[in-house]
Amino acid sequence: MRGQRVLVSGMGGELGSLVASLLEAEAWVGSILGIDVDPPRRRLRRSEFHLIEPGDRERIVDVVTRFDPHVLIHLAVWEPDARAGTTLAKRLTQEASTSMLAAAAECPSLQAIVARSGIEIYGRGRGALTRPDEDSPTRPTSEYGRMVSGVESAAHSVGQRIGVAVSALRLAPVLGPHVPSPLGRVLRQPVVPFSLLADSPFAVTIDSDAARAFVAAAEQRPQGPLNVVGPGAISTMQAIRRGRRLPLPLVGPEWLFARQVSYLLGAPLPEHVMELIHRGRLADGSRLAATLGVAPHTTTQDVIDRLFKWEAIVRIPPSTATRAA
Amino acid sequence: MTVADIIRFPRSWYPADSVDEWGRDAHLIDLLRPATALRWEVGIGGQHHLPKRGGALLVTNSRRLSLSTVYSALALSRAIGRPVRFGGRPDIAPIGPMMQRLGGLHNDPNEISGALRAGELVIVSAAGTSNPRHAGVVDPSMIATAVLSGVPVFPVASTSTPFGRATRVEIGPQVRPRHKRRGPLAELELAELTQRHIQRVLDGLGGLHTGVTPIDWLAEG
Repeated sequence: MRGQRVLVSGMGGELGSLVASLLEAEAWVGSILGIDVDPPRRRLRRSEFHLIEPGDRERIVDVVTRFDPHVLIHLAVWEPDARAGTTLAKRLTQEASTSMLAAAAECPSLQAIVARSGIEIYGRGRGALTRPDEDSPTRPTSEYGRMVSGVESAAHSVGQRIGVAVSALRLAPVLGPHVPSPLGRVLRQPVVPFSLLADSPFAVTIDSDAARAFVAAAEQRPQGPLNVVGPGAISTMQAIRRGRRLPLPLVGPEWLFARQVSYLLGAPLPEHVMELIHRGRLADGSRLAATLGVAPHTTTQDVIDRLFKWEAIVRIPPSTATRAA
Repeated sequence: MTVADIIRFPRSWYPADSVDEWGRDAHLIDLLRPATALRWEVGIGGQHHLPKRGGALLVTNSRRLSLSTVYSALALSRAIGRPVRFGGRPDIAPIGPMMQRLGGLHNDPNEISGALRAGELVIVSAAGTSNPRHAGVVDPSMIATAVLSGVPVFPVASTSTPFGRATRVEIGPQVRPRHKRRGPLAELELAELTQRHIQRVLDGLGGLHTGVTPIDWLAEG
């Protein structure tokens, strides 16, 4: 299985760039093509990149059908308040999934679709399972959960129509040194609000582990969803303690005020992060290792520790920058 | 410099890594032990029946409002040195999250079977009864979680009184089905058998001893 053509939508994001750089080192990968609204965040040597708006369907269809991929890795999912506000994120995600999946469906060589999803898809409504696995019912209760649910169902319907394997990697909240994450931003504030009445536990995953899972899924092409969750769990209060931040216990209506203040300070609290703080977010990630033979190595606690150590801005001295150029 | 450099909380109050993947907080349970000891003084028997590793479903009788699954899970966790989770936590703050910290799970068959497949020990209760010496009906859907997950089922007899501290938790040997079934008859028969096993262990514990004889007579029905 050498010389496979891999299409990566959302290559401009941190996760997309990371996946592309890992794909470049894979022997089974022949050529890589990326599409996004932002250029890649890292230097890629073998990948070809096209800067195209998700709504520009004609151009996407033209580029994708000429490339004729064997595998589509669909990472063009905008988490609300990560790089775009909720309304814009919803529109971009919907446009990208429509145009990318429609274009890929026209490619005769396509064998598999690997879509990015999130464990937000399970929802945290009343009576929701504490630690859902892939067989658990999906009842999203946040806008982001509904967005990834839409991506999954679009990918499945395309897969069924053209007869290709579709897998969805349901990621726990992804944190990384350059990953724009609303959860990461909130936790890094000097004063962090948490729910005094609940302080529910959650799990996260680091971007490099998530990227490895995507590369393994693209190679092995499993069918169905897989959870990608870092081992262990942590509560908001414990995360605050690890980061040596000041905890701000809240119980009810003052959350409205806290959200506004947090928004003004540059760390908006979207619906799914509020849900995580109040109701927790855990998932069973054991099937990933059994199916693909890869599993996140970095524990939730380690990811949170690293979150507080990452530099806010990486300063490169002018002399180093000049030499690198 | 962070805020915590100026304002410090004692680490012993709230360690930063005591929550497991199901939300159980071993440190909090240790902290609450004196309080639980004020309410329950639990004697345990038959813990050698439980597997050293792997999942198992434990089913106990339940007097209404006795929290038998809670004290049984806490006492068994301590006795056998591995976490025992209990079904039946509500999903409303602050009680629900608090019980999750103590090892509580929802009484949802999907949730219980997820824990069993993950190799956890889970204790659930039979239907509540007014008589503390009677085992209530065992829900076949709970037994189905064990049957489908391929883990053993153990009967647990628990006795407590509304006001006294003396509490007993006795684990019986594994309930083994008499016939091998392929369909839902497996859990129906196993549920009935489990109820009978719990009753047998309960009968073996003898009558109620509250120290106040008229109450004991009343409790005997």
